[in-house]
Amino acid sequence: MAFQTEFTVIPLSELKACAQARKAEGSRYVQTLAVNTEAGVDIVYSFMLGDRMSNYKLVAVKESDVVPSITDEFLAAFIWENEIHDLFGITFEGISIDFGGKFYNVAVDKPMTVISPAQLAAREKAAKLAAAKAAKEKAGAPAASVDAELEAKLAGMDPEKAAKVRAAMEAKAKKEAARAAEQKGGE
Amino acid sequence: MSGFKLGGMTIGSVFKKPETLLYPFEQKQAPAGLRGHVIVDLSMCVFCGICQKRCPADAIAVDKAAGTWAIDDFACVQCACCVKECPKNCLLMEPSPSAVGTSKAPRVFVVGSMR
Amino acid sequence: MGKATVIPFGPQHPVLPEPLHLDLVVQDEKVIEAIPQIGFVHRGLEKLVETRDYNQFLYVCERICGICAAGHSIGYAETVERLMGVEIPKRAEYLRVIWHELSRVHSHLLWLGLAADAFGFESMFMHAWRLRERVLDLFEKTTGGRVILSVVKVGGVHRDIDANQMSEIIHVLDGIMADYRKIVDTLLTDYSVKNRTVGVGTLSHEEAFALSMVGPFARASNVNNDVRCLGNGAYGDLSDFQPIMDAQGDCYARVKVRCLEVLQSIEIIKELAAKIPAGEISVNVKGAPAEGAEVCNVLEQPRGECYYYARGNGTKNLERMRIRTPTSQNIAGMVAALKGCDLADVNMVVLTIDPCISCTER
Repeated sequence: MAFQTEFTVIPLSELKACAQARKAEGSRYVQTLAVNTEAGVDIVYSFMLGDRMSNYKLVAVKESDVVPSITDEFLAAFIWENEIHDLFGITFEGISIDFGGKFYNVAVDKPMTVISPAQLAAREKAAKLAAAKAAKEKAGAPAASVDAELEAKLAGMDPEKAAKVRAAMEAKAKKEAARAAEQKGGE
Repeated sequence: MSGFKLGGMTIGSVFKKPETLLYPFEQKQAPAGLRGHVIVDLSMCVFCGICQKRCPADAIAVDKAAGTWAIDDFACVQCACCVKECPKNCLLMEPSPSAVGTSKAPRVFVVGSMR
Repeated sequence: MGKATVIPFGPQHPVLPEPLHLDLVVQDEKVIEAIPQIGFVHRGLEKLVETRDYNQFLYVCERICGICAAGHSIGYAETVERLMGVEIPKRAEYLRVIWHELSRVHSHLLWLGLAADAFGFESMFMHAWRLRERVLDLFEKTTGGRVILSVVKVGGVHRDIDANQMSEIIHVLDGIMADYRKIVDTLLTDYSVKNRTVGVGTLSHEEAFALSMVGPFARASNVNNDVRCLGNGAYGDLSDFQPIMDAQGDCYARVKVRCLEVLQSIEIIKELAAKIPAGEISVNVKGAPAEGAEVCNVLEQPRGECYYYARGNGTKNLERMRIRTPTSQNIAGMVAALKGCDLADVNMVVLTIDPCISCTER
């Protein structure tokens, strides 16, 4: 036996049929989880049969969508459906033990969908890096690439440091210009 | 009947060397490599701040300008992450537990004064 | 038939080491329904993955729960290694399994003490915890921590066990085994223990399977979902691994399965200690998980199968880390086992699933 995993994307409408089919083939329910993405919430259901772990993924479920509960097939799912409802704000219909949003006492509504400032900064940084990389590839010419490389590096730094580096670069350029002017004057 | 077996074991332990120590009169020898508390040798430290960045509990504060290295023992989780990451090997984990604190202030090491 | 009354049980209760609340609907001393409620120790650790990079999060993961610390760090490290396609040295795999099985011994001994205390067998509680202390001393010597080991890293382990320490481990385990056999013989043949546990909270094989139970709780109902059988890591090198099963499905079967698993774990450690290959104990892991890459992993912890899921986003921080712990999967089973039992047996049923609420809520 060797552990095998697979991920399959299914539409929301097929979830119920999928759970019934898994139950009929004798799979064991493993878990349900949610991932917050920009397009919506991904929900992953896992079942295990022998050594094969099958993960069925609902992609980008919106808050307005109603997900049918699978607790009538697999009772153990109630804990996760309640959790996802409390932490991600997804509505499940027909949970056998429904806590009605009182499963966890959370201070913030839907805490797992809140994007923290640190996460936002990291995302912006990644986007800038990607943009700079693309710009560098586009520029192609060796003369431009020095600047592009520098820009790419600056984009990766935190803003304070980047500002400092920029100021230093400008000062250096000024100095050089002044020196060049002096030399011209001397001639 | 079976109760007597365990009874035998319990009574037998009266005559054996006790499993426990008479703390605080006797103290257990801490084995080498036990993660007790972090100390720093500032004569080798270059204040690069890697320990501060890698600390999962944000317990370390390094100030290059002031020449101080501070650790908040109340936040430290004794994972020894900083010790493993230090490029100069100037951090060390002492086996003894951190001293009892009287205030919630961090432990500050200053360049030039050894503690 | 009397009228139904609701009796609250927990979150503060002498038999519960952790906060779990049950609303017991009772009719003439019989529990007709139990409604579980958790949510007293939710700390939002999964959210922390956004601000801690994948190396730092290992230490967060380890601190989800004290008893399962070794299991969580190993499971997390394995998951991230899978995500990044890292092969770790064979010796590191062996060392991880040795520490994990030691943690199973200490976890089951802890549970045995608590269970003995719950049925009023206090001298057994003392003996079980006395033996557990020896395992903790082994951890202290080999890893530098008694409970939180902090010895696993992404890409291997931090510390090696040398030959001297290895023979000391075997020596200590032999000592534990001698005393432990006496304790277990007493426990499993004692009539008062049998009176308390035989036929209490019975779950049939079909019920246990339908409720997707995991760990010793499921194995006592003859459902084999021991993921050690999959042979991940060094488990694949065991010459013969047969999970311990029982067909009765009552509290006594669950006590028995856990008791025998300690002996099995000691055998596993001895076998691996004899077979352990020499070599490196870690590899350097560089870079970050690719954007959108996702992976799942399972690990058999002392309380049962634990599921890990990770998704990368191209940076050092993971997009999502998810841990499905064994106790949470067993709560539905516990509710079913409680149905129809006596009010006085509730604590036995709850304890024999070995609940770990800190793990459940993370």
